[in-house]
Amino acid sequence: MLLPSSTIESAPAGATTLKVSGLGKEYRLFQSPQQRLWSLLGGRRNYRSHWALRGVSLELKRGQCLGLIGDNGAGKSSLLKLLAGTMQPSEGQIARSGRVTAILELGAGFHPDFTGRQNLYFGGSLIGITAAQMQGLEAGIIAFAELHEAIDRPVKTYSSGMVVRLAFALVTAMEPELLIIDEALAVGDQHFQKKCVERIEAFRNNGCTILFCSHSLYHVQRLCDQALWLHQGSPRALGPTMEVVAAYEAHVRAQQRGAADAEPEPALAATGATAAPVGPAPEHAHLESVDLAGLLPASGGDCPRLGTPDLRITLRARTAAGERPHLAVMLEQAGGGIGITTAGTHVDGFAVQQSADGTWCASITFTGLPLHTGQYSVSAYLFDASGLVVYDEWKDCARFQQVFALSTPGLVRLPHHWS
Amino acid sequence: MQTLLDEARTLCRLRALCWTLTRRETAARYAGTALGAAWAYAQPLLTVAAYYLVFDVVFAMRLGEGAPTRAVGTYLIAGMLPWMAFADALARAMASLVDAGPILQKNALPPMLFPARAVLASAVVFAPLLALLLLAYAPLHGFAPALLAYPLLVLLQVLLCALWGAALAILAAALRDTMQVVAFALSLGVFLSPVLFPAHLFPAGWAWALWLNPMTAWVGAYQTILLQGAWPAPAAWVGMAVWLALGALLLNLLLRRSRDQLTDWL
Repeated sequence: MLLPSSTIESAPAGATTLKVSGLGKEYRLFQSPQQRLWSLLGGRRNYRSHWALRGVSLELKRGQCLGLIGDNGAGKSSLLKLLAGTMQPSEGQIARSGRVTAILELGAGFHPDFTGRQNLYFGGSLIGITAAQMQGLEAGIIAFAELHEAIDRPVKTYSSGMVVRLAFALVTAMEPELLIIDEALAVGDQHFQKKCVERIEAFRNNGCTILFCSHSLYHVQRLCDQALWLHQGSPRALGPTMEVVAAYEAHVRAQQRGAADAEPEPALAATGATAAPVGPAPEHAHLESVDLAGLLPASGGDCPRLGTPDLRITLRARTAAGERPHLAVMLEQAGGGIGITTAGTHVDGFAVQQSADGTWCASITFTGLPLHTGQYSVSAYLFDASGLVVYDEWKDCARFQQVFALSTPGLVRLPHHWS
Repeated sequence: MQTLLDEARTLCRLRALCWTLTRRETAARYAGTALGAAWAYAQPLLTVAAYYLVFDVVFAMRLGEGAPTRAVGTYLIAGMLPWMAFADALARAMASLVDAGPILQKNALPPMLFPARAVLASAVVFAPLLALLLLAYAPLHGFAPALLAYPLLVLLQVLLCALWGAALAILAAALRDTMQVVAFALSLGVFLSPVLFPAHLFPAGWAWALWLNPMTAWVGAYQTILLQGAWPAPAAWVGMAVWLALGALLLNLLLRRSRDQLTDWL
């Protein structure tokens, strides 16, 4: 299990791993490639400037984990590339200490005609692992990538999963001081994803500083103690994860509301009963069913009405033999995407039970569902035992209508009293 | 010149990586062939052998008065092999940055590593061939002391290719047309040099145009050493110095102006 970083005190306090001041990246937009040549030779400013990133300053100490969030095009990838050193800044300074490993795009630089082993030595040299060091690391990398004798076959005979496994095993073969991850938790199959997450956790528990960029706010909240929200190339908020993520979520909701007002509501697809999405292969961990109890049949094109005061949702899932998963649900206002609540067995410390047929099953009951009249949507999630790897997610998989006779403006009834 | 010196220092620090990249480039180029890297040597060797057979053995052609040697094949080879080395190194270096785009965008490496590796990979092929050339021509004039200048010429030629190759690689990154223009110039350049005809055969009014080709100075110097066993003329050394200095100045300027954007152009 991942430790919250405040509990990691083995690191020497105050050792700065990364210090960035006034960082900016300018893209010069030329009308034609010829203009670029003239600018290069003549030194003229015949271009328009586009600042993908400007004014970023931050300092990361040993053992800290910073999550990077923001909309598409906010400059997240630019910042990661600048910090990884694959792109040069137009202004500002970056001071890094120690080994920096970036998991940006895996598999770059592998030559298809050479064997996995040959590529390992070459790829290693690109990220600063000498041949002598590689001799010591080789066996571990091959074992981690689970390539066995395939390591001596040309890389062009590998499946894409094998290439990514080899690449991940290679870049993480040596423990870095600063680890930069771009959405890399989605590497390979479920089994390998889990290994990747465990390796990253191990680095973190050893005091490695991590910079993590993801669209999954769930993972950012789970992994990071600090977050940076980039908006249109500028930092909008930097601070404790919960506060920054909350501010960003409010911004996303406002955006969605704007979009929903502009476009007509899409036709309702799902109804109260579970319409199972095309299921993944049975040997993978997956959700099997999401059932809502007490629904009355739909009248006309509406979604079914909740006929009981309580909302009871039963989740069923299958996992690889022996792994006890975690299950979670999310309630949202249908259409608007306004989140109402989430609940997970890993958060609440509930042990999911296995039934005789091998499925894992858990039911959640919202007693006296305190929602006002409206349509609501249910999403279901299946997690691994640590609550980090999302094995399966069914978004908006069921909808129901709540009718509450005494509805007043608003979404929920909160416990209250007058005095 | 500070930018260029910094870059050179970085490359010097990364020389082990540069050498790994060089070996890999040679291996990758001939991956899947039975003879492997031997092909790299076979092509120039067979070309040179063909010149010798055709011009000196089969047709026994002779140059006129005033040429440094009478045998056409012997004359051709002394200039042609260095020219082939130059054209090969320059063409490879010019394409190196654009080719290395995917690697550079995913690894934190100095871009100049790739032109350097291209020139080195070419030198690994041609330096031994140029050494063979020296051994073949040395007996013509009884191992004259001027042969000592030969290794220096080869080294300066590698430097020339590195400076101009890197500069052209940056220009090619900025504007891909550079590659077409330079490829055309390389195919015609051999006529604007003393490789095919002795310099005195050029019309007097046009002799200056020969110096527009950087290799004129080198080819002249090689021919003087190999064919006559004499020290290269001062004009040749001046020509070399001018082209090296121009290359260094241009590369320094391009490096300074493209520093933060070079990878974005690939």
